[in-house]
Amino acid sequence: MDPLEQPIATPEPVGRRGARLPAAAPELEPGAATDLELMQSIQAEDPEALSQLYDRYNGILKALILRVIHNEAEADDLLQEIFMEIWNQAKNFSAQKGKPLGWMVTLARRRAIDGLRKKQAYARAEERLQMETEQQPDAWVHNATQEEINSGDTRILVRRVINTLPPAQQQAINLAFFRGMSQREIAAKTNTPLGTVKTRLELGLKKIYDGLKELRDEL
Amino acid sequence: MSFEEFQNRARLYVIGALESDETEDFEAARKEYGIEAENLIAECYNLHEAFALSLRPAKSSDVLKERLMSMVRSRQAK
Repeated sequence: MDPLEQPIATPEPVGRRGARLPAAAPELEPGAATDLELMQSIQAEDPEALSQLYDRYNGILKALILRVIHNEAEADDLLQEIFMEIWNQAKNFSAQKGKPLGWMVTLARRRAIDGLRKKQAYARAEERLQMETEQQPDAWVHNATQEEINSGDTRILVRRVINTLPPAQQQAINLAFFRGMSQREIAAKTNTPLGTVKTRLELGLKKIYDGLKELRDEL
Repeated sequence: MSFEEFQNRARLYVIGALESDETEDFEAARKEYGIEAENLIAECYNLHEAFALSLRPAKSSDVLKERLMSMVRSRQAK
């Protein structure tokens, strides 16, 4: 059966108690500066604010970089460069255009994909990715247990939304987001007609987008 | 381009998956839909956050942070 024709699992209800909003910053200690406040302090060239932002998000950003380049040492170098860029480019951040984490993730992803291409590691990473996707097409996400859902972990909630997608849609989004591939490149890589790739991306992204909105409304 | 189609393309746009010809059409529609389009695009960028948050955070060394902060402070001193 074409994966696109597979039935999509209906997400189980997510417990309200203790759950955090998906696609939102990790829960803060009482009195801690918000991300926006930290960004404003960085704009005012306060290094302590960058230090706090680093503590809050270095793990997430490094995971994102590693997902793209699969190399620990290069990921560390890039992480450092990205936080330097956050420091240097903070003046370009505008709260009207989005949240600080979204801005940082966008910046980190772009740098990671650029880094991947510059270091000509693309082919090697592609091979690895091909092996991963062939052996385990839905390796991006795993099935969350109810216990994990109840733990209120943002990551699990987001994964749960992504996990409702058929593997072919997950793969297309994975290649586009984490590899920076165009629709044509994805079509060539997966031996899939361009129109099908487009449909997979559109359907998959819409489901994730709608799923996240539903979760936000529920919580 | 209908707004529904614009919505679909906006999600592709934010992850950089639009082809060049699609990007031209998208940018034209973006101007046409104005503030509504900008708000939608800003909302679509939440997808970036979601994809990042779907990953298990990775550890990085304390040395890295020290190096970063040292670079920041030396740049400030100049």
